[in-house]
Amino acid sequence: MIDYRVRARIFVGVIVLLLGLLVLRLAQMQLWQTELYAGESRSNAVREQRVMPARGAIYDRNGVLLVDNAPAYSLLITPRYFDPKNIPLLARLLEVPDSVVANRLAQARAWSAYRPSRVFTDLPFETFSRVVENLYRLPGVQYEIDQRRRYHTPARAAHALGYVREITRAELEQLRDDGYAMGDRIGKAGLEKFYEKALRGVPGRAFKLVNIHGQEIKPYRDGAEDVPPISGYDLHLGIDYRVQALAESLFVGKRGAVVALDPNNGEIIALVSMPDFDLEVLSGPIDPETWRYLITSPEKPLFNRATMSGVPPGSTWKPFMALVGLQEGVITARSTIYCPGGYLLGTRLFRCHGGAHGSLDVREAIEKSCNTFFFTVMMRLDVNTLHRWAQRFGFGRPIPMDIAEQNPGLIPDSAYYNRRYPNGWTAGYTINLGIGQGDMTVTPMQLARYVAAIANGGTLYPPHLVRELVHPETGEVLRPQLPPPEHIPIKPEYFQIVREGMRRVMEKGTARWVQIPGIPAGGKTGTAQAPGGRKDHSLFIMFAPYDAPKIAIAVLVENAGFGATVAAPIASLMAELYLTGEVATTPQRRYMLEHVLRQRSQPLDEPTVTQAASR
Amino acid sequence: MARLARRPDLLLLLLWAALVTAGLVALYSTTHGPAAEFLPSGVRDNFARQFLWAGLSLAVLGTVLLLPIRFFQSMAYVIYGATVALLVLTLAVGREINGAKAWLYIGSIGLQTSELAKVGAVLAVARLLSTRQARINTVRYALGAVALILVPTVIIILQNDMGTALVFLALVPVMLYWSGLPVATVLLVISPALAGYLTLVYWPAAVAFAVLFTTGIYWHTREAYMGALAALFTGGTAAVASFALAYVLKPYQLARVLSFTNPEAEAYRKTYGFHLVQSKAAIGSGGLFGKGFMQGTQTQGAYVPEQSTDFIFSVIGEEFGFVGAALVLLLFALLLVRLVRMGTECRHPFGLMVAAGVAGVILVHVFINIGMATGLLPVIGIPLPFLSYGGSSLLANTLMLAVVLNLHMRRDEFSIFV
Repeated sequence: MIDYRVRARIFVGVIVLLLGLLVLRLAQMQLWQTELYAGESRSNAVREQRVMPARGAIYDRNGVLLVDNAPAYSLLITPRYFDPKNIPLLARLLEVPDSVVANRLAQARAWSAYRPSRVFTDLPFETFSRVVENLYRLPGVQYEIDQRRRYHTPARAAHALGYVREITRAELEQLRDDGYAMGDRIGKAGLEKFYEKALRGVPGRAFKLVNIHGQEIKPYRDGAEDVPPISGYDLHLGIDYRVQALAESLFVGKRGAVVALDPNNGEIIALVSMPDFDLEVLSGPIDPETWRYLITSPEKPLFNRATMSGVPPGSTWKPFMALVGLQEGVITARSTIYCPGGYLLGTRLFRCHGGAHGSLDVREAIEKSCNTFFFTVMMRLDVNTLHRWAQRFGFGRPIPMDIAEQNPGLIPDSAYYNRRYPNGWTAGYTINLGIGQGDMTVTPMQLARYVAAIANGGTLYPPHLVRELVHPETGEVLRPQLPPPEHIPIKPEYFQIVREGMRRVMEKGTARWVQIPGIPAGGKTGTAQAPGGRKDHSLFIMFAPYDAPKIAIAVLVENAGFGATVAAPIASLMAELYLTGEVATTPQRRYMLEHVLRQRSQPLDEPTVTQAASR
Repeated sequence: MARLARRPDLLLLLLWAALVTAGLVALYSTTHGPAAEFLPSGVRDNFARQFLWAGLSLAVLGTVLLLPIRFFQSMAYVIYGATVALLVLTLAVGREINGAKAWLYIGSIGLQTSELAKVGAVLAVARLLSTRQARINTVRYALGAVALILVPTVIIILQNDMGTALVFLALVPVMLYWSGLPVATVLLVISPALAGYLTLVYWPAAVAFAVLFTTGIYWHTREAYMGALAALFTGGTAAVASFALAYVLKPYQLARVLSFTNPEAEAYRKTYGFHLVQSKAAIGSGGLFGKGFMQGTQTQGAYVPEQSTDFIFSVIGEEFGFVGAALVLLLFALLLVRLVRMGTECRHPFGLMVAAGVAGVILVHVFINIGMATGLLPVIGIPLPFLSYGGSSLLANTLMLAVVLNLHMRRDEFSIFV
């Protein structure tokens, strides 16, 4: 008989040996090499994601939502895990031909086989949800819900708001340390750019467990290592979207700009630059045709005319001349100047318009826009005095404000003339400055700020789009950093005299047809010579109501003719809407409205006068 | 009849329950974890299904305990024949899952007949070897036992289930050793397996082994025919294995076998090596105490293929760490040692052989399964007894325990000499 006890002991020995071997192997893996395998498993299954904060929303002065975020749905494919057999399925779900999916997949693979690539962006929600429902059949496909800007009102305010687009490689190089990454959206112009930091917020981080198909299954360690994002600040603007939208619609067929300010604090009520562009289009993928138009059109739609186009102010300059003349003592409230129909400087006659005005004081001179009067004032001043005062009114220098794209404008001084005319110059070169013509340019923004200062009696407020920044979660309110208001050292009674003159413009003068029913106001038309023989620029400045001004407006319509014809009615309608909440339906107002809508800027591709003459 | 009223072995029952529970816990983690919503709905029902199978297995166990002791010995060949018939039937009308035609469907219930065939093979070999008269030491018995095992093995190979076939082959040395045959005979019969394995790893080693083994056998037995057989078995196997590696094995089988030698290689990493890399990452990252129940990143991310069946050990290793994994191994060790002890306590050759066969089958499963999960052995698709998801495996393994329990419980009814 075999001794089974010996064999049993050997068998038990074998059992203990084999299982002991396994225990040793486990100890090796789990106790000594655990760091190695932990790293392997972590890199395998844990994905670090940035969590983008909600970009701040933008509201108008009455709390009406202008801009917020809409979800943008994207699909990402990791080519390594995507089975090409699923191309027809994915194509069917997306309702595109198979070849489209195959192409995008090839592109993604060329970029990286192992990293997820954004292959379909800005999908319609229905398509997107159809794909997501079938995600379990599509290993290697993930989704991402991203944000894009959504615009809510008919007011476009394209130049003021600016747009947000995917960050470029060059920007990324610069901003890498600020937490930007490939594919992020960043403010490219306007407020979106200026307040990028505040609007963007601070991205957070989330660690997600990913299963073998690349699907996120749950937070890693229940989110213990996650860092929540911090939302961006909401911007509350001074813009009144109704006034903005009205101005934009009145600009149909025209080029130019409007700036409307609150004369009591410099808040921008409306800022229009035309032609403009559709922010909705710029925030998504743009087709090359549209992009080429935006970049190369001679109309320069991306160019913010409100702060960047310099034109001579024309007769809108005359209130300024009156103020300087009064303060410098070269004229008084009652002193008169005789207008024989022009100003004779040596042998050259500088003409007034509309024949001889006869003897007039400063108020009448403004009302009638008498060139002779202001030629005389100019002749009694010198160009450097004028330069100094213009600077005090904010001309000829950039405005410290939340619009970065600015042209400082040109206000000449003697140094300028010396440079420009090295062979000598005379009063004949500078006398036109008295009527806002010649070697000078101002921007619509500068004009608006100037008329606001006239309206409020000499305070030059910094114009600004943003009234305050409010944090949507904490309710924290930040005020924009504004430079202190500047005071123009001119006696208040002189401002009163000029305001009276501007009131007479509205009641008896060139702009009487654009009076706002029931609301007295002050205004001044201007017609500035345009270069290249084109039609004159139409200008108008205005403030209302007369007694306690609440809005100050400057309008520039390029190559559209007289200031009274085109620019003035635009300002009048805007002020009326702002002050009364509506545009009156009287026949006179309706006529005015229809009249403005019919006006056109002379098209840039139309032959100019000089070109026509030279033929 | 008081002597017949022994209780079934309580320790073995407790160990069975502990192992089945460990399997259900791991299975629950893979099917009801935080990632459950991403699983196909069929997979989520696996837990409930396995729970039912555990209940059914327990019922079968109870029923088997009621059978008379003579039943198994007298019916061994019948049971064996029935299971082989089932295998053939499966080969004819079975359903193919994962490339192996190993499932016989009765309605919607799938039965992996090769699992049941293990029970038949153990009983039949035990019957054969236990009827051997003492002192008649012939190779005939050994070869008979090998033949009994080879029949189902070949059918299972035809079913394309190499892993299960391998378990059957591993049964040979265990049962032969236990049967009391001379060591030389046992070694002779198992030498082809060793030669085959060495051919796989490094063929010159197989040649060296063949030479040494033949010399050794001849020197030990001084019998020319033993030496000739040794040379034939080892050298022949090496030659056949080399041929098979080069010409017969299908690419995926070759990949599976070769991935073992270098699981990090890129080409294999994405096929069968991928199982290994992921399983090792899961187990290794578990550390001492594990990541916690339903907290394993590998498990919840379903990175380990077949994690509820063949790779269930990776779940335990990851979520319960070294402590949990070693505890499962301890349970298996206790179970196996207890089985061997119960065999010797029977003191009847049939009981001894059955217990040894059962212990051998379970040991081979445990060692190969955990060995592959930890990267010691190639990826061979066999389940971890009592833990892996799969009703047939649980039922078959429980059935084998039940037979041993029965024989042990009624051991006094045996006359010691047949």
